[in-house]
Amino acid sequence: MIRTENLRKIYQMGNVEVRALDGVDIHIEKGEFVGIMGPSGSGKSTLLHMLGLLDIPTSGRIFIDGTETGRLTDYQKTMFRLYKLGYVFQDYALVPELTVMENVALPAMLRADRTESQYRADTVEILGKIGLCDRRGHLQGELSGGQQQRVAIARAIVNKPDILFADEPCANLDTENSRMVLNLFHEINEQMQQTIVMVSHEDWHKEYFHRIIRLRDGKIVDGGG
Amino acid sequence: MGKKELKVSLFLAWRSLIRGNRSSTVMTVIIIALCFTNMIFLPGLFNGIGQSITTQLVDYEVGNVLVSPRAGDQYITDLDATLDLINHMPGVERATPHYTRGATLKSGDRILSVGVRAISPSDEKYVSPLYTKMIAGTYLGDGDTGEIIMGKTVAGDASVRQEDEFQPSLGGVRIGDSITIEYGNGYTKDYRVKGIYFTGWSQADGTVYTTMSDMELVEGQALDRADYITVKAKPGYSEKYIKDELQSYGVSQDVQTTSDLLAKGMGRALQSFAIINLVSLIVSIVITTVVLFIVITIKTINSRKQIGILKAIGVDKTVIMHSYGLQVIILALFGIIIGITITSLLGLYMSLHPIVTPEWSAVLYLTPIDMLTNSLILFGAAVVAGYVPAWRVAGEDIQKIMRA
Ligand SMILES: Nc1ncnc2c1ncn2[C@@H]1O[C@H](COP(=O)(O)OP(=O)(O)O)[C@@H](O)[C@H]1O
Ligand SMILES: [Mg+2]
Repeated sequence: MIRTENLRKIYQMGNVEVRALDGVDIHIEKGEFVGIMGPSGSGKSTLLHMLGLLDIPTSGRIFIDGTETGRLTDYQKTMFRLYKLGYVFQDYALVPELTVMENVALPAMLRADRTESQYRADTVEILGKIGLCDRRGHLQGELSGGQQQRVAIARAIVNKPDILFADEPCANLDTENSRMVLNLFHEINEQMQQTIVMVSHEDWHKEYFHRIIRLRDGKIVDGGG
Repeated sequence: MGKKELKVSLFLAWRSLIRGNRSSTVMTVIIIALCFTNMIFLPGLFNGIGQSITTQLVDYEVGNVLVSPRAGDQYITDLDATLDLINHMPGVERATPHYTRGATLKSGDRILSVGVRAISPSDEKYVSPLYTKMIAGTYLGDGDTGEIIMGKTVAGDASVRQEDEFQPSLGGVRIGDSITIEYGNGYTKDYRVKGIYFTGWSQADGTVYTTMSDMELVEGQALDRADYITVKAKPGYSEKYIKDELQSYGVSQDVQTTSDLLAKGMGRALQSFAIINLVSLIVSIVITTVVLFIVITIKTINSRKQIGILKAIGVDKTVIMHSYGLQVIILALFGIIIGITITSLLGLYMSLHPIVTPEWSAVLYLTPIDMLTNSLILFGAAVVAGYVPAWRVAGEDIQKIMRA
């Protein structure tokens, strides 16, 4: 499902070269729930951004579902993200002027292959799954952090993506809410065979992952696959 | 950009306007409305003044076309033949002669120097609506002799003391009063005041009218000459057409349309008006552009992170750009609609309460075309002001905006 070849990302900060990723080879299978772990600054987010087509590697190649992503145009990448990938960020990043329902439906509204009644039904179903059906008319400001993150997850999976990426989705949550989010990931992974790649630096999260890719200084130290 | 994308852009734009910072939305709309009003008010007012001067000039001075003696001549001679010729031309409603003599009017202890204008009353009625402006007595008849009509300014007001008068008058002459007129050639006669009129056009209100028949008595001969001839066009015929007709029919006198005369007489004033109009137009456009630019720039800067997220979840940059661009379009539309409402209300108010001076009365002269062109200009400026920052932020790198 995901394969990288000698992935490098080098940031030029004045005279200093920051090797955020330094020759990364990974392999992730369909249906896996993979954790990317490592100390702060080890390149976890950078890797996730590369895999999610949010940034371009300095060198190396990425294959998703057989497509070499480096060959896609800007627009094709956008469509790739819309049709195949889902994202959850650390700080939820909901659109503040949209209700819960509207936030979740937004990516589905853009899909050429979804009718309005389809995406409405999908949205309601997912809201049921995350347990926020009764909050569907609420705005971001009226939700707790945990609820916001669940909405963000719903938004990420409404298009039934091939791969779900999450960058420290629990960083701003307490343990109880973190568990709720992780359980939700676990559930969609089990029930829908959803491939999930999640960045975390909390040691106790590892019990949820099938496999852990460990990074240090931009290099894989364990679990590349 | 498909229909679906446009729908999502509009959806995002509308939500942002109604659920976002509402006071900023309202303020922006008000500013655009005021800019629109500012843009259209002064030109409309000047146009109104111009129109009112033109109308009065047409009504009380020139008609549509003025035929005056050719250079070097004092009079139009061979008057009857000339009138006959003009009156038979297509498009001519009526041509009528004017012959003015300087005179001194005496009434009681008041003495006043005015021009006495001789007319052919029945023809004059086709050219000038002065006969509808009688405030006392009646208009002249063709064969009247020994009778005159005069403007309100000449007649005066008995309740105003002479030293308080704004313009000298006969101190309150009334219908039936007898006044003495002494013409420049020494001819002196007593006349009965047959009517008093008020037009609002100071020149006319400071004049005394008599008939051509009466003026023949003054001159002591049949009058086959005039100072000038005023010509009224039939509805649907342009001044220019009549002028060309007259010239091609061999009227050898000087022929000028009201517009010709206005351009000559008011050329400089019209130029100043045009400059003021241009300045108010530019100021409005600049303010609108700057305000919208700032509003949208602030909006996009505040939501850079969110824009990055939207792009990350697969929202195309054109959708994002239009979501901001459409906000400006909506703001501009509302602003312009309110602006049109304000201007129309001002126009209505001013038509009920015009600013009246002796020379003109100012109402707002606004045509739908003016409204439309101004709307389009402002709208265009707004779109540019909104799309520039929207396009800039939407095109940025996801990484760059997410880190900001
Ligand atoms: N845009 C950037 N410019 C410069 N350096 C960057 C940039 N993004 C990340 N880095 C650097 O790359 C390294 C890896 O960063 P990151 O992937 O965010 O680490 P992690 O997510 O594991 O904490 C860090 O040293 C970070 O400072
Ligand atoms: Mg990180």
